Amino acid sequence: MGRHHAIKQYRPAERLGQPLDLFTEQTSRSSVILELLKSPWIVRGAQLARGPLGAGKRREEPVEVAWDGSKGAPAAFVWNGSRYRVDALVQSWSVERAWWDPRARTSRRCFRVLARDGLYDLAFDRTEGRWLLVGIVD
Amino acid sequence: MSGFVHLHVHSSFSFMDGAARIDDLVERAARLGMPALALTDHQGLYGAVRFYQAAKKAGVKPIVGAEVVVEPAGCSGDEGDAPPRERLAAPPPAGFGRAAAQGFHLTLLAKDRRGYENLCSLLTRMHLGRTGTPSVAGLEDLARCSEGLIGLSGCPYGEAGAAVLAGQTGRAERALRSLARCFAPGDFYVELMNLLVPESPRYVATLATLAERLGLPVVATNDVHYVERRDFRLHDVLAAAAARTGLPGPYDRQNAELWLKPASEMRRLFASVPRACDATWEIAERCDLDLGLGTFHFPSVEVPRGETPYSVLAKAAWSGLETRYRPLTPAAVARLERELAAIQQMGFAEYFLVVKDIVDFARSRGIRATGRGSAGDSIVAYALGITDADPIRYDLLFERFLNPARRQMPDIDVDFDSRRRDEVVAYIYRRFGDDHVAMVATVQTMGVRGAVRTAARALGFAPREVDALSRNLPWTSASRLREVLETYPECKGHPLLDTERYGLLIEIAEELDGFPMHLGTHLGGFIITKEPVWTWTPLQIAGKGVAVAQYDKDDVEALGLVKMDILGLRMHSAISDAVALARARVGEDAVPEPFELPHDDPAVYEMIARGDTVGVFQLESSGQRNLATRLKQRDFSDVIAAISLFRPGPLEAEMIAPFIRRRHGLEAVTVPHPAMAGVLRDSYGVILYQEQVLRVAEAVAGFSLAEADLLRRAMTKDRSRAEMEALRERFVEAAVARGVERSVAHEVFRQMQGFAAYGFCKAHAACFAVISYASAWLKRYFPAEFACAILNNQPMGFYTPRAVLNDARRHGVAVLPPHVNRSRAEHSVEDGGRAIRIGLKDVCGITQRTLDAIAREQKRRPFLDLADFLRRTRVELPEAESLVRVGALDGLGVTDAGRPPTRDEMLAALPELKAIIAREGVAGDDVLLVAPGRAKAAECPEHPSGWSLARRVSAELELLGLSVSCHPLDLARDDLARRGVVRSRDLPGVADGTRVRVAGVRERAQTPPTRSGKRTCFLTLEDAEGLLDVVVFEDVLQQVGDVIVNNRAYLVEGTLQNNPERGLAIVAERIEPYTVRAHGNERVILRRGVPAGPLGPHRGTASAPEDAAGAVVDSTA
Repeated sequence: MGRHHAIKQYRPAERLGQPLDLFTEQTSRSSVILELLKSPWIVRGAQLARGPLGAGKRREEPVEVAWDGSKGAPAAFVWNGSRYRVDALVQSWSVERAWWDPRARTSRRCFRVLARDGLYDLAFDRTEGRWLLVGIVD
Repeated sequence: MSGFVHLHVHSSFSFMDGAARIDDLVERAARLGMPALALTDHQGLYGAVRFYQAAKKAGVKPIVGAEVVVEPAGCSGDEGDAPPRERLAAPPPAGFGRAAAQGFHLTLLAKDRRGYENLCSLLTRMHLGRTGTPSVAGLEDLARCSEGLIGLSGCPYGEAGAAVLAGQTGRAERALRSLARCFAPGDFYVELMNLLVPESPRYVATLATLAERLGLPVVATNDVHYVERRDFRLHDVLAAAAARTGLPGPYDRQNAELWLKPASEMRRLFASVPRACDATWEIAERCDLDLGLGTFHFPSVEVPRGETPYSVLAKAAWSGLETRYRPLTPAAVARLERELAAIQQMGFAEYFLVVKDIVDFARSRGIRATGRGSAGDSIVAYALGITDADPIRYDLLFERFLNPARRQMPDIDVDFDSRRRDEVVAYIYRRFGDDHVAMVATVQTMGVRGAVRTAARALGFAPREVDALSRNLPWTSASRLREVLETYPECKGHPLLDTERYGLLIEIAEELDGFPMHLGTHLGGFIITKEPVWTWTPLQIAGKGVAVAQYDKDDVEALGLVKMDILGLRMHSAISDAVALARARVGEDAVPEPFELPHDDPAVYEMIARGDTVGVFQLESSGQRNLATRLKQRDFSDVIAAISLFRPGPLEAEMIAPFIRRRHGLEAVTVPHPAMAGVLRDSYGVILYQEQVLRVAEAVAGFSLAEADLLRRAMTKDRSRAEMEALRERFVEAAVARGVERSVAHEVFRQMQGFAAYGFCKAHAACFAVISYASAWLKRYFPAEFACAILNNQPMGFYTPRAVLNDARRHGVAVLPPHVNRSRAEHSVEDGGRAIRIGLKDVCGITQRTLDAIAREQKRRPFLDLADFLRRTRVELPEAESLVRVGALDGLGVTDAGRPPTRDEMLAALPELKAIIAREGVAGDDVLLVAPGRAKAAECPEHPSGWSLARRVSAELELLGLSVSCHPLDLARDDLARRGVVRSRDLPGVADGTRVRVAGVRERAQTPPTRSGKRTCFLTLEDAEGLLDVVVFEDVLQQVGDVIVNNRAYLVEGTLQNNPERGLAIVAERIEPYTVRAHGNERVILRRGVPAGPLGPHRGTASAPEDAAGAVVDSTA
């Protein structure tokens, strides 16, 4: 399957085109979501707004994270007492700001993950050495 | 495939936009096992040659490139004409100077030699293009120069990248399409960067899709700006300081990912497009640049038909030899034959011809020129008239200059009359063509002040605070900042000691040590090439509007290009002036050319041996004068020895004391091997000259001179123990084979090893000694002309003009005050060589227009009075005030009282006179009647100025920087006598070890490096009778450092050192400031003409009055 195969196949203008049922089951659904999230031409509302974490629901809560060394990504996290298995890593980025001001300094490695069909931003704070949940996007 | 090659890398030569040192980059790339590494600095190849050498050495393939600014390619017409929605924001102003906001970034890599040449000429075209426009590459230029180049579409500030980030995919596509058209098919890559910001996945995916659609290959890079992640702070600081903003700086980076990541990390970042990583290998394989280091490229020299450069050189040398040696000696003939053969064999004939050509031009125009440095070791240079010291007579060895066993570009430095240097430079451009000559660059790096300023500016301190922080710091490397702050006396109470507030600043400033700040122009270095110079190096415009290469002298040498140092020597100008003045007075034929004198006048040596050498080239410093009184020069070799002895090396090795003891027979001359005695006869068994190291190796171990020079070079450089052992083994074995005892051979080697690093090049000293002798001869026989010439060529030499003038006064030369009817702009000699008339050009604030007007009017008729002067010259009020105060109008005109007006009266009348002249114009010739009065009564009725001596001296020091009437300390004679102060003239008669008290005005303060690493300050003071040397050792310096820095005149108490071994000096125990007060308790102000020494900052220049605090001798003692 090539990139964006499902979408490329959908040709409403052609009479022979077949509308594709995108969501037949749970597993196919998440792969499509991932595909869409990574699509370059879809600019998410969260990304349009200023700020490194977008305009989603922001919060900063410490969470416990199980690290998957082989993938270099979180495997699961525990939040509000319940465990969230990470289904997929959507993207990751890093933040290093205001290093000259000890009060305002942020140094984080962030991961946007798909878990229980929600998008969660996890961040490892390099200055304090702990994991935070910094945002729930959708 | 798993590897990765970084193709977009900035070093510190991106000038304030890169925090990676080249050596660190290369070393890390090698450690990560990368087969190649590119260097793509902003807009130039500044670091390319160093990088190329370092990479070759480390076994990493160097890829040379640059990141340039190109004009927008994806929009038709002007950016500003597009609808606002479609405009792309320009890149931030960092690293590119004015070009930054005029276009978008593009990365270029040279595939081969052709690509390198094209890159050089593209960069040259950008920088030299139309004057006054920023350095932006046009698409046409890019297309014309793209052969052999690989283009990468650039970082997020490249046009495609910026368009993608702005959501203008169409614009990105157009830009890529038209940029790709500039390159050969397959030579343009779409550059992908995953910088781990939230936009990155979209950025990479869009560009990859676009590339696929356009059929372009993609390549991954990481926009490297620092080697290790932790260095990102430096990058932010540099970029912010360069853009003159505080942090976060122009980029407002979200993170710190621009480091040289290992291949695995890069592969993971580009997991979705592995072909982008594969492409880095492919590009690295396609790039194979050979700069051909180690070969030489001489400019073309035209020779007559049927001749070769060598034959022309040989003919010139032989005919030169005939004039130099009369009669011609067999030794000279043999020596010239040997040298010519060596030059022929090494192929340097063209080089000599180029130097000869330039020197011949100077001679033909009467521009004084002398060679310096090791070139003096060559009889060819002597015969061609490039150098002036006889290499046979002074035993100068060709092998020290050009070693046949070590083929290296010769380096002949020539000093020219500094006032006429520009004529020589113009000739070089004319002779070799504008396209074949460029100036050599120097890289200005950060010292402690630059680093503190940069860090403080970036951290957002106020400009006033930045100034306060960088002030009062000594000139050292920034890495020692903390140590300097804690230990140096002048840093006592420095604001930076507040670590709470400035801890981070100090930490960053220390890390910034040695970073390049900007490109400067070498004082006198010129590259001369056969091919157009821009095929060798990119050129850019320097401050003065000249084209300067982007390479410094080491780079140029590595490339094997011919570099000529056209240096200006003010002493040449002064000698020319002195000769001209003397000839004007006593006749053309009565004054011989001082450079052609035989060096045998005992009167000249007697003067030098007395230490009476103020103004004499190389022999005038306080250390040299002290040395002269101990050494007692008798002939020319002694002058050479003196110049060589007082150098950091011999000083550090403490060679002076044994040399002098042996010379005066206080210590026996001992050498380990009798063969050395003959070789070292001139220097009493001490190895003083580098040439002697060669001679010793020849005499003891039978080395050839070429071999011996290799040995000397090996000893001079830092070698490992093992290498040194091997050298020793070779030397000892060779000596033993010749019948020398093993222990003796070891001892000889030990001595050679000890002195090789410290010895001085005798040829260089000999070349200088010729100038020293010429200047000493002039000082001896034409003291007024000589002092006058030196004053007219300031700034030069060791002493301030004030001291030079006082010295002339002590030699019986009268000093006449400046006067509008008699002074010229320059100082001049009057009264048959017995007086110096002070010129007007040094009067504070005087303009060239006024000087011209005075000169013009002087020719018509003398000025009658102040009004006449003002009317005819139309000077401005402040200038007129200065002229009156300095006494240039004294004695002109008559007042009601039947005497000339006093200075106070003139000053009082000035504004009104000026107003009347402005109103009446030239017509009001005879109606200038100004009411007298208002001025206070004369303080000193017997002098026409009406001013007391103290006030006159103060005004002279303030406005001229010279004391014309008398020495300021003359005024305090009674007070000094009451305090029991010994005068400098009486000191030689005082016994060694006596406690004395002296007073003087500071002339120089030096803190040279010493072997122990302790700081010792050498103060040169001047009192009314002469110069005094004061030594301040570290413990005393700790207490009085700030007194020395903050005051001008001192009372010094200490022990007198007066013995033939150490010479005459005062070892200070107490130093306190001294206020010069005349009889009437009037204070004398020493305002100008006393520069601060290296102890402290340069507070004000010789021409600018200082702030009020430093102006007074002290705050009331």
